Amino acid sequence: MTAEALDPLIHVPARLQIMATLATLPDGDELSFKRLQDMLELTAGNLITHLRKLEEAGYLETSKTGSGPASRTSVALTRDGRHALDTYATTLRGLLNGV
Amino acid sequence: MAPREAARLLAQTQADARRSLDFRAPWVSLVAAVVALAGFGIVWLNVRNQHPFTGPSPASLVFFYGLIALRIASVIYAYARARAGISGHSVKVQRNEAAAMGAALVVWYVVLIAIAGSAHRSAGFYWSLGLNGTLIALAAIWAGRSAIHKNWQDVALAVAVALIAAVGAIAGPRGMWLVNGAGLCVLLLTTGAIGKWQRRGPRIHTARTGA
Repeated sequence: MTAEALDPLIHVPARLQIMATLATLPDGDELSFKRLQDMLELTAGNLITHLRKLEEAGYLETSKTGSGPASRTSVALTRDGRHALDTYATTLRGLLNGV
Repeated sequence: MAPREAARLLAQTQADARRSLDFRAPWVSLVAAVVALAGFGIVWLNVRNQHPFTGPSPASLVFFYGLIALRIASVIYAYARARAGISGHSVKVQRNEAAAMGAALVVWYVVLIAIAGSAHRSAGFYWSLGLNGTLIALAAIWAGRSAIHKNWQDVALAVAVALIAAVGAIAGPRGMWLVNGAGLCVLLLTTGAIGKWQRRGPRIHTARTGA
């Protein structure tokens, strides 16, 4: 097994961190965009780009409440996203054990 | 990114996230330990030479409940800070549990005041019931809730609180303040030290450029 077996969508530092952070929340919880940005120390533009890619893959979902300056965007892992991260971690363990 | 680097990043990111989202920081336990020692300690100093026991003075009770308020404020502050930006099912459940616990405490104190108003027993009985009874009841509810969530560390902590209160009840109306103060202080310091140990590990700082 080689590193190519790892999900290429997750196997990018910023996206791996996004997935790992959201995975620490219990099922049914979501995290605001601002808090996620603060925790990962990413620029807003960079975070939006990565979130969009993960959302397109169905790994996470975003929801927006309110409008104007008071609007709030929240992010949560989907069931598929949690499963993808589990598979990624399992593959990673397999690779490291084989090294 | 090499697999080993990815594994390190995954583990550190999750450890950092848990640390950031957990409101039970070691400083919260430290504040609670100081509150327990100072609050119970000042009442013990006030009542230790009372023969017969008549109860703590109003001044020592103001100090005691002032410190309890400080403890509650520190928990609310830590919770609001750690859980900022989180919404969803678990937040609603925690808010409902806190509201139910607060309402139960109010009802318990109203019942207690009504019982004390009938005054068929000594002051020591009512104070012991109010202090040790409340601690044991709270610990039992906490242990039950933690068991449902399979949080065995909190179950152990709740059982320890109940045991301290039980020993306090045996120690009598004067000694119970010292037993509870010293016991809870040691327990909370131990909890804080365990929490600090569990939170150890290097923090990771990502480049602002991301990927």
